[in-house]
Amino acid sequence: MTTRRTPVFFAVLCLAPALLGLVVFRLYPIALAVSDSLFNVVRGDTIFVGIGNYLALAADTTFWKSLQVTLWFNLLMNPIQIALALGLALLYVQKFRGITLYRVLFLIPIGVSLPTAVIIWRIMLTPDGLVNGLLNVAGLPAQPWLTSEGLALYSIIAIATWKGISYWMIFIVGGLQNISPEIYDAARIDGARAWQRLVYITVPLLRPTLLFVLVADVSINFLLFAPIFMLTQGGPADSTNVLMYEAYKSGFIFGDMGRAMAIIVVLVLLLLLIVGLQFRLLSRRTEAAS
Amino acid sequence: MMKMIWKTAAMAGLAAGLLATSALAADKTLNMIVIEGGDTTAMQAVADSYEAAHPGIKIKLQSYPFAQFFQVAELRLRSKDKGIDLVYVDAPLVASYASRGFLSKIDQGIDTSTLVQASVDAGKYDGTQYALPINNSAQVLFYNKALFKAAGITPPDGLTAGQSASQKQVDELASSKRWTWEQIADAARKLTVKDNGRTTQYGFSVEQFAELYQLQPFGESLGTDVIAPDGVTAEGYLDSPAWTKAATYWSNLYNEWGVSPKGLGYGEAAQLFTTGKLAMFVGGTWNLPILSATSVDYGVAPYPYFAGGKVLTPTGSWYVGVNAASADQQDAFDFAKYLTTSDEGTRVWFKALNQLPVYKPLLDEISTSPAFDTFPQDVFRLGVYDSLNTAKARPVTAAYGQLQDAFRTAFTDISNGVPVADALKSAVQKFEAAAKRVAQ
Repeated sequence: MTTRRTPVFFAVLCLAPALLGLVVFRLYPIALAVSDSLFNVVRGDTIFVGIGNYLALAADTTFWKSLQVTLWFNLLMNPIQIALALGLALLYVQKFRGITLYRVLFLIPIGVSLPTAVIIWRIMLTPDGLVNGLLNVAGLPAQPWLTSEGLALYSIIAIATWKGISYWMIFIVGGLQNISPEIYDAARIDGARAWQRLVYITVPLLRPTLLFVLVADVSINFLLFAPIFMLTQGGPADSTNVLMYEAYKSGFIFGDMGRAMAIIVVLVLLLLLIVGLQFRLLSRRTEAAS
Repeated sequence: MMKMIWKTAAMAGLAAGLLATSALAADKTLNMIVIEGGDTTAMQAVADSYEAAHPGIKIKLQSYPFAQFFQVAELRLRSKDKGIDLVYVDAPLVASYASRGFLSKIDQGIDTSTLVQASVDAGKYDGTQYALPINNSAQVLFYNKALFKAAGITPPDGLTAGQSASQKQVDELASSKRWTWEQIADAARKLTVKDNGRTTQYGFSVEQFAELYQLQPFGESLGTDVIAPDGVTAEGYLDSPAWTKAATYWSNLYNEWGVSPKGLGYGEAAQLFTTGKLAMFVGGTWNLPILSATSVDYGVAPYPYFAGGKVLTPTGSWYVGVNAASADQQDAFDFAKYLTTSDEGTRVWFKALNQLPVYKPLLDEISTSPAFDTFPQDVFRLGVYDSLNTAKARPVTAAYGQLQDAFRTAFTDISNGVPVADALKSAVQKFEAAAKRVAQ
């Protein structure tokens, strides 16, 4: 009896810190957000409004525009980041002269904190900054990188991608090193070309790694806040006003916590839906492949 | 083992509690949140002089950078934080704080008859006084004399170094020789220098880029308020012909004429001005000590207006309120009273911060004392004239934060080339949607 009981107790004991962290830092805030989204503060009194805040969002053009921006932003950024991270990882594991220098260069963005990176990019993207200076040397006109409706969102995608891909690259490198070299050797003997080896061997065998990277990357990018807060404050003309920023503005600048929390709950549900979908699609394909 | 840990923890907690209580009994501490920088230095000076006269009371300042102050204040007041007794309140936020019960009603025993009435009134919400004015603000036009000379154009009439001016002379300057925005645009175009597509010298800028405080007189001097008196309607106001004309002028500064630098941050206008890269800017009198500390030869003229419009100038500044959750209301009110209505408190504050006072005896002194005859002290006489004749307070609305944000967004977008009508329409829609939620 004791021998059977002990492992259970031991397992619970080992898991307790992690579970406690999960409850305190994940589940509790979500529960709090849900409950706060059901109330409004009017003239100092907290009033229960039920789903009133959600109904108000449904009729709120700013919210819909912001949702649209969030989806477009992620639809572009996540595939770009993962494709580039995969490319970088494939380069990273090659063996050629000067590879060490290349590896160091591509690890640098990880060592720079996000706010620092954003400040550096802001300086480089000013109208008289380095980027426009280089364009000028090349004989091209200066661009309003962060101040035009048509460019600001893409500038932010570029900055976030520059900052993010080397981090995701590391995971993919780990995945690549797990693939046994014998499989490639066999493929080579069978006459498979480089792109065939990539499509038929590397990518399918990387699927578990890619699934993790996809889910983690999507979750982080849906909640991306710092570059928008520091560079554009949602402008120009709301072109970079993602839901995280809209919620922040609502709650912390306007003091409308009910609306802010309702937006956060919508965002969490959206994210759960998307991540759930990703798991389903990618796991199914793995089953089929095996 | 577990029990022992709990016991020790409980005893430590008890001991800490006892220590804290005894410390409070010996010396009362009032906590105040205030903005970092000059405001904190000035508040510390007032606190020092108060403490000297009131042994047993300590004023502890908690300062935050301007960019974070409003959020910190909002969060701490909303959570009924007892760690704050006194609050530094921006004029237009009085309504927002008062409407949500953050501030205590001002003690009836405090006599405000020595303060400028308009400033006292701006501290009221629904007819009740919730905050007391610490100082007022005045905006003026700074111009670089050397750059005007180099461009071969006559600068506006103004106050400059080496000259003195009586209140009467200043009144005349302000009432009859004030430049129009059209004159500013003409001069700014001649003063802007471009080299190979890059602007090396700008003609004109505002100090607070796209801020309502700075730009409210633009449209209102043409005849339409920024929002309706009800505090929730902006349609027919911010998108009126008057505001469209004002916003078009703003757009031209950045796009059509290209005479103004975009998106200047806090203090950057004064910096460009002192390095000779900016010929004129409109800004607060708090720039005087900064400019006088450099070698730039400058003059100060009255805040401009649109030809054919009414002369209106920005006004309003910081107030002090007592946190409704404070456990020490009486002492907090006593310090607020000292800060705003005492001879000594107001004088220490003015000396340290160079902001136009609201305390009438001090204003009389500025008008009549020979100490204010010479430049740059005489600039405060311009402030006195404007505060009595042309000052226009910001709108009273519980959704001021929303208005300020919508306004800033619209005017930033306009400077970046978004069509005026689109930007104003979007601002109206955003403000009204947000205001409706506050006023429901």
